[in-house]
Amino acid sequence: MAIYELLVIMHVIGTVLGVGAATFAEIHYTRFNSDDIITDDERRTLATTYTVMRTGLFLLVISGFGFLLYLRLTEYTDLLTSATFLAKMTVVGVLVGNALLLQARIMPLAIGAAVSLTSWYAALVLGVLRDTNASYFEILLYYAVAVVLVALSLRWIRARMHGPAKAKV
Amino acid sequence: MTIALAALLITHVITGIVAIGIHNVVLMHLLKRTPNYVFISRIAWSAVALFLVSWATSAYYYVTYYGTAVKPRILAGDMPFAHAFFMETKEHIFLVLPFLAISIALCTSYLRTNPDDALRKSTAFLTLVALCIGAATAAAGVIVSGSV
Repeated sequence: MAIYELLVIMHVIGTVLGVGAATFAEIHYTRFNSDDIITDDERRTLATTYTVMRTGLFLLVISGFGFLLYLRLTEYTDLLTSATFLAKMTVVGVLVGNALLLQARIMPLAIGAAVSLTSWYAALVLGVLRDTNASYFEILLYYAVAVVLVALSLRWIRARMHGPAKAKV
Repeated sequence: MTIALAALLITHVITGIVAIGIHNVVLMHLLKRTPNYVFISRIAWSAVALFLVSWATSAYYYVTYYGTAVKPRILAGDMPFAHAFFMETKEHIFLVLPFLAISIALCTSYLRTNPDDALRKSTAFLTLVALCIGAATAAAGVIVSGSV
């Protein structure tokens, strides 16, 4: 029981760090980029936020596989093939893939940011729901719709906050 | 399952996942314009060590326990394809991973003294292949565990 509680705590900390960092990464980036200039200080703030986000992802994945082992060893394996669990695994896989594509500069930042933010919240919601009546593909359809809505919302917010461009000092 | 076998299964999963995570970090750093090859080669070699531990522990578990105690239950259950397809594929593809990891580590060690952009890109591609195989192997492991 102590191991299970430890895994829950680790999983919650990972989710909190990831969702919190993803949210603040967006807030900071939108504010910092409103004048089209990202200073060294702002770059360092963003780098720290991304480090916190990656730490959250690491804790989430390790504790997630810890749960897998716990459920396997206690022979309670029904959850491992549930649509919600498999959808959550897919969303975490998308998070990792998105980070790699952003690093390789293949993914446009506007889309990558929306995918990252939506994926973190989707992982949080799927973790809280645990099991739903929706099938795996239905969940992924809702997730895809959410990504589009978040991308449009972020675009609208950035357009609203965007000030006149300043000369680089 | 005995405590020793449970410990082997735990070691197999944790070392495997950490090694896959390390390949993810290696790839992220290889995609940078000016990678720190000293750091990359060190973690690439630690991934090799972890994959070998994961390989050895899983081999013992598979030979002494899985075939006699787990496999018949999966084949008699609702998801026999979990063994017939996923485990059969996993146990063969997983054999490739340590060799891929050694190749990546050797390339990154060479890059420490001989930085070369073409080799950096090729090593990044090889690491991406290893990462995809690792992720597929881990996902197959989840399906096999879920079908017991």
